[in-house]
Amino acid sequence: MTILLLASCQKRPNSIDFSTQVKPIINKHCITCHGGVKRNANFSLLFREDALDTTESGQPAIIPGDPDHSELIRRLTLKDPEERMPFKEPPLSEVEVDILRHWIQEGARWGDHWAYVLPKPVKVPQARNLAGLISDDSWGNNEIDAFVQQTLQDHKLVPSVQASKSVLLRRVSLDLTGIPPTSKEAREFLSDPSEQAYEKVVDRLLASPRFGEKWASWWLDMARYSDTKGYERDVYRNIWRYRDWVIRALNEDKPFDIFTTEQLAGDLLPNPTDDQLIATAFHRNTMNNDEGGTEDEEFRVAAVIDRVNTTMEVWQSTTIGCVQCHSHPYDPFRNEEYYQLMAFFNNTRDEDTEGEHPSLRQYREEDVQQIKAITSWVQQLSGKEKAREVEWFLKTLEPKYHPHDFDQFVNGELIDTKWLGIRSGGSARIKAIDLTGKSSLLINHRTRSVGGYCEIRMDKLNGEVLASIRLDTVKTGRRAISIPLKTVQGKHDLYFIFKNPLIKPDQSVSDIEWFAFRGNDMRNDQMIQREFLRLVNTKVDNTPIMVENTPKQQRPTYVFDRGNWLVHRGEVKASTPRSLNAFPKEAPSNRLGLAQWLVSSENPLTSRTIVNRVWEQFFGYGFVETMEDFGTQGALPTHPELLDWLALRLVNDHQWSLKKLMKDIVLSATYQQSSVMTKDYVQADPTNKWLSRGPRVRLSAEQVRDQALAVSGLLADKMYGPSVMPFQPDGVWQSVWSDAKWEPSAGDDQYRRALYIFQKRTSPYPSMMMFDGSSRDVCQVRRIRTNTPLQSLVTLNDPVYLEAAHALARIMMKAGATPVEQIKAGYERIFFQEMSQANVDILTILYGDGLKAYQSDRVLRKSLVKDSNNEEAAMVLVASALLNLDETLTKQ
Amino acid sequence: MDPFFDKSLQSISRRHFLFGSAAGIGGAALSALMGGCSSGRTSLEMAMDPMAPRPAHFPGNAKSVIYLHMAGAPSQLELFDYKPELQKLHNQLCPPSLLEGKKFAFIRGTPKMLGPQAVFKQRGESGAWISDHLPHLASIADEVSFVKCVSTDQFNHGPAQLFVHTGSARLGRPSIGSWVTYGLGTENSNLPGFVVLTSGGKTPDAGKSVWGSGFLPSVYQGVQCRSQGEPVLYLNDPEGIDRDLKGKMIDAINGVNRNHFQAAGDPETMTRIHQYELAYRMQIAVPEVMNINNEPDYVHQLYGTAPGKSSFANNCLLARKLVEQGVRFVQLYDWGWDSHGTDESLAIDIGFRNKCREVDRSATALILDLKQRGLLDQTLVVWGGEFGRTPMQENRENKSMPFLGRDHHVEAFSMWMAGGGIRKGVTYGETDEIGYYPVKGKVSVHDVQATILNQLGFDHEKLTYEFQGRPFRLTDVAGKVIEEIVS
Repeated sequence: MTILLLASCQKRPNSIDFSTQVKPIINKHCITCHGGVKRNANFSLLFREDALDTTESGQPAIIPGDPDHSELIRRLTLKDPEERMPFKEPPLSEVEVDILRHWIQEGARWGDHWAYVLPKPVKVPQARNLAGLISDDSWGNNEIDAFVQQTLQDHKLVPSVQASKSVLLRRVSLDLTGIPPTSKEAREFLSDPSEQAYEKVVDRLLASPRFGEKWASWWLDMARYSDTKGYERDVYRNIWRYRDWVIRALNEDKPFDIFTTEQLAGDLLPNPTDDQLIATAFHRNTMNNDEGGTEDEEFRVAAVIDRVNTTMEVWQSTTIGCVQCHSHPYDPFRNEEYYQLMAFFNNTRDEDTEGEHPSLRQYREEDVQQIKAITSWVQQLSGKEKAREVEWFLKTLEPKYHPHDFDQFVNGELIDTKWLGIRSGGSARIKAIDLTGKSSLLINHRTRSVGGYCEIRMDKLNGEVLASIRLDTVKTGRRAISIPLKTVQGKHDLYFIFKNPLIKPDQSVSDIEWFAFRGNDMRNDQMIQREFLRLVNTKVDNTPIMVENTPKQQRPTYVFDRGNWLVHRGEVKASTPRSLNAFPKEAPSNRLGLAQWLVSSENPLTSRTIVNRVWEQFFGYGFVETMEDFGTQGALPTHPELLDWLALRLVNDHQWSLKKLMKDIVLSATYQQSSVMTKDYVQADPTNKWLSRGPRVRLSAEQVRDQALAVSGLLADKMYGPSVMPFQPDGVWQSVWSDAKWEPSAGDDQYRRALYIFQKRTSPYPSMMMFDGSSRDVCQVRRIRTNTPLQSLVTLNDPVYLEAAHALARIMMKAGATPVEQIKAGYERIFFQEMSQANVDILTILYGDGLKAYQSDRVLRKSLVKDSNNEEAAMVLVASALLNLDETLTKQ
Repeated sequence: MDPFFDKSLQSISRRHFLFGSAAGIGGAALSALMGGCSSGRTSLEMAMDPMAPRPAHFPGNAKSVIYLHMAGAPSQLELFDYKPELQKLHNQLCPPSLLEGKKFAFIRGTPKMLGPQAVFKQRGESGAWISDHLPHLASIADEVSFVKCVSTDQFNHGPAQLFVHTGSARLGRPSIGSWVTYGLGTENSNLPGFVVLTSGGKTPDAGKSVWGSGFLPSVYQGVQCRSQGEPVLYLNDPEGIDRDLKGKMIDAINGVNRNHFQAAGDPETMTRIHQYELAYRMQIAVPEVMNINNEPDYVHQLYGTAPGKSSFANNCLLARKLVEQGVRFVQLYDWGWDSHGTDESLAIDIGFRNKCREVDRSATALILDLKQRGLLDQTLVVWGGEFGRTPMQENRENKSMPFLGRDHHVEAFSMWMAGGGIRKGVTYGETDEIGYYPVKGKVSVHDVQATILNQLGFDHEKLTYEFQGRPFRLTDVAGKVIEEIVS
């Protein structure tokens, strides 16, 4: 105690650092009761202004510069357990109290958490020698290695030797393209003695179309991409064009800032291209609830909330979900800031409708030309703005209204809570429609009966008739009809009254999906109008996209009381959290502005986040292991300086090129180290945190499958298009209220890469899930790797893998004259190096045992391999064993 | 034994010890670094042996759980919640006070009241009300405790089922079986720790997500055991590879893997060797436990089972066998309880009655059988749906329906529990005269979950997992153990 007191009287050479010394103490002992959730005694340690403020006692708890009169210190050091803090918990250690005391003495300054401070230019360390340690000055290829070596030296570690060429080739191929190299590619590299041989391979891999497929799997987990809508009905969603957009964007090396902007706000860019609109499907991957009886608004809000959480997690490594209900318990985000972020996303047209409106309509080429003709005709007559509106409507059918916008139903309602179904004599109201300049109404309806009509009256049920429509029978599907509307000015409530004397009283006259009010864009030109309507009714391929509400459709955004969407507190405007960078001055206050804020050079999180995620794909762990959370509860970076250096290099030197970032990584000596774990390494660096060896991790679900198909020569090169259904055991899909079936794809589609497999949220492809794939319900930035017996059942027994083993066996048998040669050839096909004699012996025995069994007819060869011989059957066993080796399933 | 091999194993266990206890050291940064949490497993532990048995927070009564979920939501008003007053109101228009400010899935306008479509009696010494739809259960009423006022806030099947099984109405959270196996591991590594059995021809509305592992590692997801096709996906050896050859394959694979371990030194390789051996044993153990052919006749009579059929009865018998073999959590889903009255099978007085007959005998048999074997005390049996049914008759789209039916009802529904330290013969909670609102003893879905965890020895507030920067738990921010039914 004496020593401590003495120590505390001395002037310390180093001042206390808030983030690394004080904040951990606060988070551990205080923040639960004095933070963003609870503010006991009106004292909170979340923000400095709160911490220095007057508490319930009338006094502040912290007086900067005066620890002796600060209540905080007094309460921490009391003897009486009733008064001493933390309440009912063990007291703080003397060291901890000492730190707090000094911190107050020095002014109780609020340091910033590392992740919220901009990365600063870092000097690349010089190699140094440490006494007693072998230091190889020649180690290292680029700046990454200088940083890594410095950290290794700090931990008294030395780097591992370089991995063999064959190991390295397999590693870098799996990392960059997700599949192993072909035998030919391997031969080329292994026989190339030049210094540039490896770099040549890297360049080839980065340019390969397979690159985009590998990295798309990575991005699609974050984008929660799925081929179904989720929830109870979980039916098909046609959104594969977004998946293809991601593959293309990655292959083109679209700079990450543009990649970001197009996905978050492609629709808000000037004259967006179809591709930029498809990019916005990123946020249409939210779930959509079609279950009967569900309120569309509830699930629209759920989707918007998911967009906020996903955006912050994907670009900011920030977990904002808890701020929905209260200020962040640990990190500097206030409750209302959540809803200010939400305001950016709260004004899109999508409203959880069964039809997933709005979608980008993709017309056949002749219709694209027709649209051009119509728009240029409109442009000549009515100007650019009108032409743009017409084109936009044909592309997206927006702006329009949905049946859930109606109320005051009389003798009718929403059928299955989706479509407007009013019985004869019944009516429904839609409120406050601005009719200025509107001269026609489009109604998309299904009417099975004959004799129905609909009247539209203004302001009251017996008000002035604006339109009267005969609802012609629509035999199949739905059809849009156009009705002239009496011209009126201003906003009016409209009453839709339906009649059909010929139908039964409990039958509805019609079933209506949407309405759109149009101006007189076509100048009453009958032919153009007909053509316009034909295009609206043309069956096209749709991709759900983001479309912003028109100024007339703006929704206010409110703070939800304790996260309850039905209970509103004050209204908020779109803005970004104050503790992060300022919103760019020129940026618009919408999603486009938000995207610009994210990729601004002032944002401290985006570049670090992306560097961390890319690094994890190569090394198995990010610099910050909690890739989803850079906040104060997350892990600290293992190599903070290297992380910042790479982040700045990505933005400044590489102009956000991910391929260049990856090239830096794979060319480093750090990446090229051998991953062999000697006993010393296991003890000194068990998880390879300090990068004292190369990466060694189990392959991802996609890689396990793609590799098996690749080495057995089955893998189909075909890219893009609707998702495929390879073999899946019977009876896996048993969804209620849905007749969707798993129907195995034909031909080559069986052997497409895993990322093209149909992804159903409530029933994911089983073998992907067993290898820790994501069910894509919500954004997932990190897959936790497991090692289970069910995984071995997949690679041993799944017919997909058995077929691969069979194909591999055939290749092996062609590659050698004797079983031993064949076995060696099989191993070399996977690993590009010779198999050890001991292992050849083991597999030769297996081959012999198999052969004996098939020759003796104890086991029926025919059921394993049709039209073939016993030797081939025995070799299938060996090939299957090869596909199941730990080495095969591991990137090493 | 190879000395190097031996030593390496030691180093693995040392490593296991080192990191396994990291959470115990308690540093926030350290535990975050390990990806673990105060009462869960570290990511390293999960990589090594994610299913290793672990102690709970305190010694619990139950070692395993059998959860019988009637998907579609059975009517409490025809089974346990006897409302003679409702009979008097039968066919009268529903008073507006019950409809104001309410949202229903299908009821529109003003529906009529629907009296109980069953005959009720008080049963056993406890005097619990059970209708004659469930004559078998009635005979063991004193073994069971009834909770009469479970309330939920979800009136659609998908979200409501998710809520009951994951504590949240949105997709993405771990199911209760996943939480339990994450917390306790499994006693018999030759079988999956969390088994799911379905009957009624469909999986529940919310799909496989109700037994998904959410953000927990996928190893904790429920393994669906099927009565047709392979009992577990990819379990059967391919045709043309018999047990002996499969054994030889695994020997060869593991032989090469051992050599690889010596060369590369990665403990994960040893785990993989272990998992391949386990898989081989599982291939025998699962079909064995799933085979009910050799059960004695009296067992088949007790349950009403018929080997080779896919039925709730078979699943009940399988549940007993699985629990007997040390499986931690057995989840049964029986589909077809959504008695809206839209057709005969969904009529409250026809189809519903038949569904009751289908499950009554076998669910009762399950309790009797567990008791006979001395397993009931350590096995918690839970029965329930995802919500209840309205005292009003459904009038979908404001029309009269072809059959009698009831709409979804969130305010109060009945569940029962037995065994696993649950008191016997207690009826807890009371609804109003027409079974609409709770009057006494209202409990939430989170309370039921807290109680289940409590019986296993968990403080539901402490069984947490760090995800997206905060600790998550099954009961979200709510839940209170229903002390009245716990012994």
